[in-house]
Amino acid sequence: MAEQTIINMVNEVFIDSFEIPADKLVPEANIFNDLGLDSLDIVDLVVALQKKFAVAIRDDERVRTIRTLGDIYNFIQLIKTEGNK
Amino acid sequence: MRRVAITGLGAITPLGNSVEALISGLERGECATQYMPEWQKYKGLRCLVGAPVRMQDEQLIPRQNRRSMGRLSIFAAQAAQQALKDAGVSREELSSSRLGCVIGSTMGSAESINEAFETLIPDFDLSKLNSTKFFQCISHTAAMNVAQYLGIIGTVMATNAACASALQAIGAGYNLIRLGEQDIMLCGGAEGLHPTVVGSFDVLFATSSSYNQAPKKTPRPFDVKRDGLVCGEGSGIVVLEDYERAKKRKAKIYAEIIGYSSHGNGSHVSESKREAITLCVKEALERAAVSSRDVDYINAHATATIQGDKEEAAAIRQIFGDTVAVSSLKGNIGHTLGASGSIELIASLIMMEKNIIYPTLNLEEPDKDCQGIMHVMKPLNKKINILLKNCFAFGGINAALVCKKEK
Repeated sequence: MAEQTIINMVNEVFIDSFEIPADKLVPEANIFNDLGLDSLDIVDLVVALQKKFAVAIRDDERVRTIRTLGDIYNFIQLIKTEGNK
Repeated sequence: MRRVAITGLGAITPLGNSVEALISGLERGECATQYMPEWQKYKGLRCLVGAPVRMQDEQLIPRQNRRSMGRLSIFAAQAAQQALKDAGVSREELSSSRLGCVIGSTMGSAESINEAFETLIPDFDLSKLNSTKFFQCISHTAAMNVAQYLGIIGTVMATNAACASALQAIGAGYNLIRLGEQDIMLCGGAEGLHPTVVGSFDVLFATSSSYNQAPKKTPRPFDVKRDGLVCGEGSGIVVLEDYERAKKRKAKIYAEIIGYSSHGNGSHVSESKREAITLCVKEALERAAVSSRDVDYINAHATATIQGDKEEAAAIRQIFGDTVAVSSLKGNIGHTLGASGSIELIASLIMMEKNIIYPTLNLEEPDKDCQGIMHVMKPLNKKINILLKNCFAFGGINAALVCKKEK
């Protein structure tokens, strides 16, 4: 389970960058089908997450497996943990 | 060749975000120029006045359309929607391959281009650029964004000829309909105000810089105290339509386009040349099959530069003498650059409809070099049957359009 701080910060990206109402931001929400993101948005999502969390994920293959908001929470949690090792 | 009617108008301007607001501002003799204190951070920028648009309702454009739009594309999209509504173009017509758009601008969004370089250059790091910045910066940004937003599948083109962009767009749409390649065209121009755009004129000493503390007194087209142009922004879009088609569906016809011409001057990138202007205007009149005596009103390009106004006045003097009413709207809305041709044409078409000519604001004493033509210095009640719209651009590109009132 990702930290609440990470969840809040990821949700801020979706609210600020993609104008998605906060009540739609639940872990099981599919970012394509439920939140309406497309291929261009994924580029912007990566740029925004890199800036928000000061991480480099652009060339990380695991980004391609992300489907839900929960996947992002967990991915960022994992990246932060890896970075701290 | 088919005939071409103008059946819809839309405008986002420094005087307001509709055709009605524009006309209302012109009727009040309002000047949209204002002091721009935030421009002071640019060293060497002498002109600190501009004519900005108060952007409104951009959130009504869905995010997935808006994300690729810079300021100028938002203006173009809003003006295009107004024009379509005004023309009564149906949803079915809009999605037909017989409807297209040609929309020009000097370049892509200046604000977005600056943001892109500000993001990129400090660390030379491409990974910080978002996906849609490119689409805001490209030269055909207005045309392609309007087409995507409205679902246009006909011809989509951009004319990028600086201050002649909008008139060239209308000319291109006019020709596409005349040739039978399209039935309806959304045409015009758009521009976004940014200090770096002002700077491009400022380095050439072509901007107004003596009125930073008295912004309502500038620009001053044709006036003895003119000291350069004031940049504005906005968009003007007109709906052009096959004349017979428009008549058949009983559309309101603002005017018929009867002549268009565009030429290069072949001699200088920034200096207007009276000979080249004369060639262009004469050719537009010839193509319209009218003589100089038939023209009732000339909506001048006149941006209030020392050199440009003098050359335009000389060309008008040579062709028309002092018998045709002339005014420039730059004193009201500044120079909206790539949008000026269409915004000012729209205002001229309303003048034609209302039988009134709005004067050149801030013209108090015509300069010696600009005399010998019939300056309109206060509102003039006059029937306009035929009007001429001039546009002249950096790069030595001139354009002229002749319109005839629908009887």
